[in-house]
Amino acid sequence: MKKQPKPKVAFFDFTDCEGCQLQLANMGNTFLELTELIDIVNFREIMSEKGEDYDIAVVEGSISTDNDVKRIKEIRAKAKILVAFGSCAAIAGVNGIKNRTSLEVAKERVYADKAHTINTIKVMPLDRVVKVDYYILNCPPYIPEIIAVFKSILMGKPYPLPNYPVCVECKMNENVCRYEKDQECMGPLTRAGCNSWCINNGNRCYACRGLLENPAADGAKEILEKYGLKVEDILNHFTLYNDPQGEKYDQEFAR
Amino acid sequence: MKYASLKKEDLNKWLEHLKKKARLYAPRKKENLFVFRPVKNVKDVCLEYMPTILPPKKYYFPQKEKLLKFTVNPFKTAKAIAEFEEYILFAVHTCDIAGIQCMDVIFREGPEDPNYLNRKEKMTIVGMECFKPCDKYANCVSMGNHVPRGGYDLMMVDIGKSFIIHINSQKGERLIADLSYIKGANENDMRKLEEKRQEKKKIFKEELNAPLPKVYEAFSSQGSFDSPLWDEVGRRCVACGNCTAVCPTCYCFDVADEMELSFNEGTRFRIWNYCQMDDFARVAGGEDFRKGRPARQRHRYYRKFKYPVDKYNRYFCVGCGRCSRTCMADIILIETVNALLDPENAASYVGSVKNRPEVK
Repeated sequence: MKKQPKPKVAFFDFTDCEGCQLQLANMGNTFLELTELIDIVNFREIMSEKGEDYDIAVVEGSISTDNDVKRIKEIRAKAKILVAFGSCAAIAGVNGIKNRTSLEVAKERVYADKAHTINTIKVMPLDRVVKVDYYILNCPPYIPEIIAVFKSILMGKPYPLPNYPVCVECKMNENVCRYEKDQECMGPLTRAGCNSWCINNGNRCYACRGLLENPAADGAKEILEKYGLKVEDILNHFTLYNDPQGEKYDQEFAR
Repeated sequence: MKYASLKKEDLNKWLEHLKKKARLYAPRKKENLFVFRPVKNVKDVCLEYMPTILPPKKYYFPQKEKLLKFTVNPFKTAKAIAEFEEYILFAVHTCDIAGIQCMDVIFREGPEDPNYLNRKEKMTIVGMECFKPCDKYANCVSMGNHVPRGGYDLMMVDIGKSFIIHINSQKGERLIADLSYIKGANENDMRKLEEKRQEKKKIFKEELNAPLPKVYEAFSSQGSFDSPLWDEVGRRCVACGNCTAVCPTCYCFDVADEMELSFNEGTRFRIWNYCQMDDFARVAGGEDFRKGRPARQRHRYYRKFKYPVDKYNRYFCVGCGRCSRTCMADIILIETVNALLDPENAASYVGSVKNRPEVK
């Protein structure tokens, strides 16, 4: 292959726990292999240099202040490719819970008498503000998917997200379905791509990858009710990671 | 020798022998269900088991199978697997054997599928006949698959203190040859076998409300195709794809190339794919030839009871009951087919979630 200049990659974080960047460090040798192909110019968690010249911006975290809006627009303007990295960036993730109450209430809950000093807006995933070229889902991101998305970026082709539920991968892994054990699970409504990571390890699916494009809310509601969940519980399951989408289901489930 | 006899106390000895002959896969417990797994300890093998989560198809049509390896520069392709290993599927139920026969029909139809045939060639099937209906979801009697109907190398029948083994091929015969503890079955054994079969006839009853030709007829009528029943089935479906994943006769797949980080070497895979997926029938330009869950569920049923009968003269439902058992929305095959058999009531069919699992 012809030697091409390595693309410059910068990592940025917004409102989040920075666990996504930590996943990159957890990649071990594969991350080193990746650095053979890319130049990392900005990555606060692992280096002190701060390059402002980059081709690919990998951004984690949600947009939750006016300053965030300004900053992500600046990043977008500089980057040729923008990657939403992790649930907070891609679907607003757990931060979206804030949207369930008014901003005033949310501020007071967290900052009490200092609430008036805080600037905050409704939480948004990146693509509510800027164009996103690639999505790496999951909380935290699933390492094989991080690699797959980087491969697509480097080959210059799109990375289509699977539009089928986690059950598809879960069944291929021959897990005992949680519903067969009378335990609830968001698998049937959640976008696949994580290889049913949580269920393989005895946990349930929390829908951290976001809902399917076309989830069967009606059928799913019936199933969740069958397992004795009340409407509020179902709503909480739907919105734990997916409030921007949850607003929609709020209405469907309120009926 | 056509029938052999194996004492139960010698079973583990035989399993150890089989383990040396080839890779041995057998059912074992997984939580409250069963799965086929490579046998490490022969004591883990379960001979009395409910149909496994996935049928043994995962061994001859793997979930994600390497098709070929390639390099871009210089452009070269090579077999992904140079040599396939011999393996034995042990204690396979007659319904799953029927599933293998269906796969054979599909993959041997020209152009033959070498990926399947490579694995099929190395397969030896040791069947295990059931004498207890497994649960309310199975419809093996209606499909005629509750009794052995060929497609195996050896078939075991539990007659109390020993197993009668029907030898159906040379491959099978080799697995019991020259073993001091496996002898030809005597008259007494054969009488017991006959008794068992007679007893079985009393216990196993047809599950569908009509014989198969009537079922086929029902599926062939335009009224059934257009029945509102499918809307009701589709309304409950969440398109999780479980019914198709666990079906011994579902064989749809997708093909995808994966590159190494070198961007010069790669592997071509084929991966299970299901008609229940949202994008399954969507093509370039966004057109979807089978829009909506009702149409997709209907398609699944027609792929079992109508289309393959027209094309191969064979029903592609083997009656294992897995699709109904695994469906969290309780879309139950027996219920759907019976509703369809009764056109007057099919229109007003309402399925319900009513089969909460019993937790032990």
